[in-house]
Amino acid sequence: MEVLEKIIDDIHDFLQKKLPYKLSMVSGDLIWPSGEKRNIVLNDDMAVELGNPNMDSLSCIVWSEHANKIRSSHVSVVGPDIPESFGKSLPFGKIVLVAVKGFNEENTYDRYRDMEMIRYSIDLKGYMVRAVSQYQQEWSRISKEAFHKGFSFEILGKALIKEFLKRDYISAVEVIFVTSCSEDVKALKAITSDVRKVIQAMDKMVNELTLDCNGCDYREVCDEVVELKKMKIILVKKSKEVI
Amino acid sequence: MKETKTIAVCGKGGVGKTSITALIVKALSKYKDKKILAIDADPAIGLATALGVEVKKTVNDIRNNLIVSIEQKETTDKVDTLHKLDYEMFNALGQNKNIGFLAIGRPEDEGCYCQLNSFLKGIIEDMANNFDYVVIDGEAGIEQINRRVMKTVNYLIVVSDTSAKGINVANTIKHVAHDNKAVNYKSIGGILNRVDDERKITTLKTKLNIELLGWIPEDNLVHDFDFYSKSFIEFPDASMTYRVIEEILARIEN
Repeated sequence: MEVLEKIIDDIHDFLQKKLPYKLSMVSGDLIWPSGEKRNIVLNDDMAVELGNPNMDSLSCIVWSEHANKIRSSHVSVVGPDIPESFGKSLPFGKIVLVAVKGFNEENTYDRYRDMEMIRYSIDLKGYMVRAVSQYQQEWSRISKEAFHKGFSFEILGKALIKEFLKRDYISAVEVIFVTSCSEDVKALKAITSDVRKVIQAMDKMVNELTLDCNGCDYREVCDEVVELKKMKIILVKKSKEVI
Repeated sequence: MKETKTIAVCGKGGVGKTSITALIVKALSKYKDKKILAIDADPAIGLATALGVEVKKTVNDIRNNLIVSIEQKETTDKVDTLHKLDYEMFNALGQNKNIGFLAIGRPEDEGCYCQLNSFLKGIIEDMANNFDYVVIDGEAGIEQINRRVMKTVNYLIVVSDTSAKGINVANTIKHVAHDNKAVNYKSIGGILNRVDDERKITTLKTKLNIELLGWIPEDNLVHDFDFYSKSFIEFPDASMTYRVIEEILARIEN
């Protein structure tokens, strides 16, 4: 989608303005124990908190068919990393840029949903995540034990990248974490606001099956994004077949 | 995966089950490497005060907010709804050291949202799996535990005072739990509370159709903690009441 390509450029421009920031390229095996599905981190056991509901939080996935736009297996951290943040509750932005192939009107929504669920497959001891996709909010906590064992964004980024790359329709992944300040998270929210609109338009089309554009809140974005128009044509066709 | 042990405390209103539940939580919380989830399934939400935790939202508040959002068509996708509920539930979790606290709140208003109720129960059960112990302060209507909190408990503890009414309700709870299968439990036991005369125990034992785990004498300190809304986590370890609770826990653990 053209609109998403532009957002990826804007995100990289944002990063450029934040230089110097921490950038690492991850490879090799991930060495971190599993939480065995016990991932609750209570206040008393918490070393670092990210994106508490009272703070700014953003979690967003942006995809592109152009692999050259994605800095494959790179993890960027704007602001303090976890080892520098003991006892802190920080605003949080997490953006995952994904190079994809074979996305079309029929599979885009399902694949997006599949990518959205990946965060729940991350089972790292001492790392807890809760999220509301609808508002692109993500709230996470790192336990004292995980902190003392050296948990960092590089480990989290690596786990995410590894999980995304398990999908055969994904060829490259880049992860960006922002903890610098609320203003930076807000700036990223503004940059990615069109991603939210595209997702909400797809949600409405697929889940509510309201294919009548009159009075729809997402008419503007559907008119602008060619792929959404095509997706709607297919859904209309399918609904007629059912009738 | 580690096993979570669940203890549900039930009994007639006013027999002191909230104080006993709070003391059970205190006794378990002494194991610093263990996490305890205390669930207040009694609409009066007395356990929060007894544990010194603040209740921001109850499970029923979350449910009602979600119903509004469903009715306004803000929420449609089931998976999203589940994760949103999970997020809200963690946000509603009161916390005091290694204790998590969840208040269920008042029973549902009218309207059929069976699927939503089953989502909520599933999330409570998922959350419970993250803890080593779950202690539920129930109400006399034992079926509420099954309907609103969780399907299975390891230990069902029925509390009664020395009154005939208290004993009758305790026996009814056992009947409903066992014969009507209102809740799945592995073992059941009773606690007699506020016993003013030790000599009554033999007679009361014959009236109570439940194995007696222990009895607690009338204790002014418990009354003071209740009256002044003090947290039972601060209850003295050396007190007779607390020692009985520790003995009961040791007994049901073995």
